[in-house]
Amino acid sequence: MFVSKKINGMSDAKQLVTTLLKNNNIQVPADRKQLLNQFVQDEANLRAISTIIKNQDQLMTKWKLENRIADIRQQSVRIPNGTVGKPYEARFDFDLLSWKDITEYEFEGLQNIGLHYDSKIKLITGTPAESGDHKIIFKFKISGQPAELPFNEKIIPLIINPDPRSLWKTLESDKADPWWKQDDVTIFSPLGPLQLLVSSKRGRSHANVGSFREDDFAFSELENGWSIVVVADGAGSAKASRKGSSIACNAVVEYFKEPAAIDNMKEFDQLIPAYKNNTGEETAAKINRLVYNNLGKAVFQVHKNLEEFAATNNLALKDLNSTLIFTLIKKYQEGFAFLSFGVGDCPIAIINKDKTEVILMNWLDVGEFGGGTRFITMAEIFKSDKFASRFGFKLMDDFSYLMLMSDGIYDPKFVVENSLADIKKWHQLLADLGGKNEDGVAVVLDKDNPDIVEQFSRWMDFWSPGNHDDRTLAIVF
Amino acid sequence: MRRLPVYLLLDTSGSMTGEPIEAVKNGVQVMISSLRQNPQAIETAYISIISFDSVAKQIVTLTDLASFQMVDIKASGTTCLGEALKLVSTCIDTEVVKTTPEQKGDWKPLVFIMTDGIPTDDWQSGLEEYKKRKVAFTVACAAGTGADANLLKQITENVVTLDTADSQSIAKFFTWVTASIGVTSTKVEDGGKEVTGIGELPPPPSELNIVV
Repeated sequence: MFVSKKINGMSDAKQLVTTLLKNNNIQVPADRKQLLNQFVQDEANLRAISTIIKNQDQLMTKWKLENRIADIRQQSVRIPNGTVGKPYEARFDFDLLSWKDITEYEFEGLQNIGLHYDSKIKLITGTPAESGDHKIIFKFKISGQPAELPFNEKIIPLIINPDPRSLWKTLESDKADPWWKQDDVTIFSPLGPLQLLVSSKRGRSHANVGSFREDDFAFSELENGWSIVVVADGAGSAKASRKGSSIACNAVVEYFKEPAAIDNMKEFDQLIPAYKNNTGEETAAKINRLVYNNLGKAVFQVHKNLEEFAATNNLALKDLNSTLIFTLIKKYQEGFAFLSFGVGDCPIAIINKDKTEVILMNWLDVGEFGGGTRFITMAEIFKSDKFASRFGFKLMDDFSYLMLMSDGIYDPKFVVENSLADIKKWHQLLADLGGKNEDGVAVVLDKDNPDIVEQFSRWMDFWSPGNHDDRTLAIVF
Repeated sequence: MRRLPVYLLLDTSGSMTGEPIEAVKNGVQVMISSLRQNPQAIETAYISIISFDSVAKQIVTLTDLASFQMVDIKASGTTCLGEALKLVSTCIDTEVVKTTPEQKGDWKPLVFIMTDGIPTDDWQSGLEEYKKRKVAFTVACAAGTGADANLLKQITENVVTLDTADSQSIAKFFTWVTASIGVTSTKVEDGGKEVTGIGELPPPPSELNIVV
């Protein structure tokens, strides 16, 4: 039973009728006020009026509800993108979203990509397993909504990026190519009284398109007690650089194996003791000259070989562009003698016995934006007045490691040239080799380690964003 | 990790209302989705969107592809290309990292401009500012007959035109931009050197007319 209320001296019922009449352009003059009062007290009319008011209230409530639902659906809700395999966390706080009136909800689409909503910590969390532009359906009901009505739906876009590692393909290189070389090589070998652990791997950027490894290396023990290790990095822009680096490495070794070279190197055997006992200007100068003559001739021979190869194979010399570094080592009573040469951006470094010092044997040819390296194929290097400075000599009582590497190793592990002179960075590299890396791969640098090749090969597969070049690392210990 | 910054300057003036602006939005979305499948681009490409109509706004700051989320764009107003050039200049100053002995900086940025009309502001002073910055290259696209390719030629050597600013043509432009960013990402990562010009980019589709 409807009970009329009095508001401002007029009841709701009267208010409603008055408005209704007004909307129909009917005025209630003074002499009809009595009639109006009777009208709004009539029971049947009161019932009709109550129904009208109830319907209006219902319509209002319904409108507000749907309006609110539309607000929520259209509200811009952005959650950050995720990546397959990387733990994901997105804050989803109803209070912050001003969704205090949500009574029931469900997320559809999270489970099948590996995520879930944790309402206690208000986070969407988990590790996504599927990439794509996902559309998560947030189903909700708000307070005041009749319980039997279905959930309202709001689409929340969630972008999951593919695992970057999965985007890299591994395509076979063309074995029928006359200058094909094996994509990956890892070797452990005695080297005179020392050991050599060396690996050269085709970079992901080459594997992705099925092209070749352009890095190369070579090594040998020599009859005169010397050993030699060579590393070369073929230029990406040179179409036959895989052959250039290979020729360069092998030509150096072949040169020093020649009887003439074997003989010439014997002069060091007198000079080294003299150098050790009195480092007078003369002995040092003699040694430098000897280094320059012996190694210089080797370098010149390499250049000639490359020229000849280019000529007989219808190539421009620059098609064989490659950097080149090498080191000769011999153990004397007085210590280890190191002779070196370098052209390009590959470093040669010796770490002393107690690992407190790093000796860089060469300077790197680098340009303003890292693109200005030089190659063994460039005749200009021989004419430059800096040519002599490319050779190095060092005599050390003892040492822990000699390392030669291409920029495929030094870019990810050292980043800038300055870091090579920092012994702390080398400690980091040694720790990295010792297992302190993303994949937890440890390489035990011990000649009695039966798994050393397998370990080193795995370590060489390390992931470093932006560093997908061929990589070569030679460690002598 | 050296980033490859890419700036897209997009005309959102009133004349772009309807099909053109939808095509632009779609073009950007598709471009981002495609680049996300490119392993080199996903590591190195960083994208920023600058819209210009009556004002120029950097609506998306330089963001890596993995995090990138496109914002909504609406078309209305005039065409302040000059302001856009000034804005991208200051963005380059603040966002692009320079190389020092301690750290390797970013690669030189790529700048793509798309407009369907004549600039309504002092574009020459904008150009003067822009010229002071180093970019790898600038490409300007004159979409439809309302744009002035000769004017754009004064901004950059590399101008392409679309006969009409319709969905298909605009989509083709963005496909080409996608390929260009992809190729450049690979070149800088592999070659370790800056890309110097439009000649290093993939050839544009037939819908894009190169203005000589």
